[in-house]
Amino acid sequence: MTRTSLEVVQLTIPPHPRYLSLARLLVGGLGAQSKLTVEDLDDMKVAVSEAITNAIDHAYEPDAPGEIIIRYRPSEGQLVVEVEDSGSGFDPDKLDTSPPVPDLEGGLGLYLVRELADQVKVESAPGSGTKVIITKRAHG
Amino acid sequence: MRISDRSEDFLAIVCVSGELDQATVPELRERLSSLLDEGARWLLLDMRELEFIDSSGLGVLIAAARRAGEAGGELTVVCARPNVLRVFDISGTRELLNLRQEEAQARELLAECRQRATAASQAGDSHDPNQP
Repeated sequence: MTRTSLEVVQLTIPPHPRYLSLARLLVGGLGAQSKLTVEDLDDMKVAVSEAITNAIDHAYEPDAPGEIIIRYRPSEGQLVVEVEDSGSGFDPDKLDTSPPVPDLEGGLGLYLVRELADQVKVESAPGSGTKVIITKRAHG
Repeated sequence: MRISDRSEDFLAIVCVSGELDQATVPELRERLSSLLDEGARWLLLDMRELEFIDSSGLGVLIAAARRAGEAGGELTVVCARPNVLRVFDISGTRELLNLRQEEAQARELLAECRQRATAASQAGDSHDPNQP
């Protein structure tokens, strides 16, 4: 299937949760252009929110300066969102991919991203920042 | 996000609407913590008007449910929006949080749990089930 790419929209935010709702708002607007259903958009909003929250929590030391870049790549029938930071990074091979224990308060974030998106790619290395690429296709 | 709470008989009812994410979670955590500190242990969280939840929000609910349970009580969540229900389902927290789609079902569950706690108390348990 050939996908017609639309414009790339980029949002740069400080690592603070007050910008999460803005990032989700763009998922709604740009995802609609990609013909994603309401259910697809709801899934993508959670996935993107989780990826940004992870960056806020783990990329930078508390109160340290830094930025998170969110790129939205809408195209015909799918929306790809990249969440990139230039923080501490980590070894992706050490990511725990097992289902979380529901009575634990943490550890659900990346699991939700993987469950709600069609494709998730994590690029990271210690000291080199992290990029999470999330793809959601239209299922309507 | 908007939060309101009220006491009704033995219940502490907390209504949460809007969006629950890492930006808004501290306010809910503080409110639930205050209620639990004050002795509330039968909590009904009315989230029918909640439009968004992520793992930050789930974490606060799980922590409050654990505290209520440790105090001999129970927490239930009432939720009806499909997108929010989906997050509870995928995270596997529906049972842990006693999720119900109707307020009446949640009230019924809490009443049953309290009845069991009363019976256990009469059999020698130290908790006072008449405390809110």
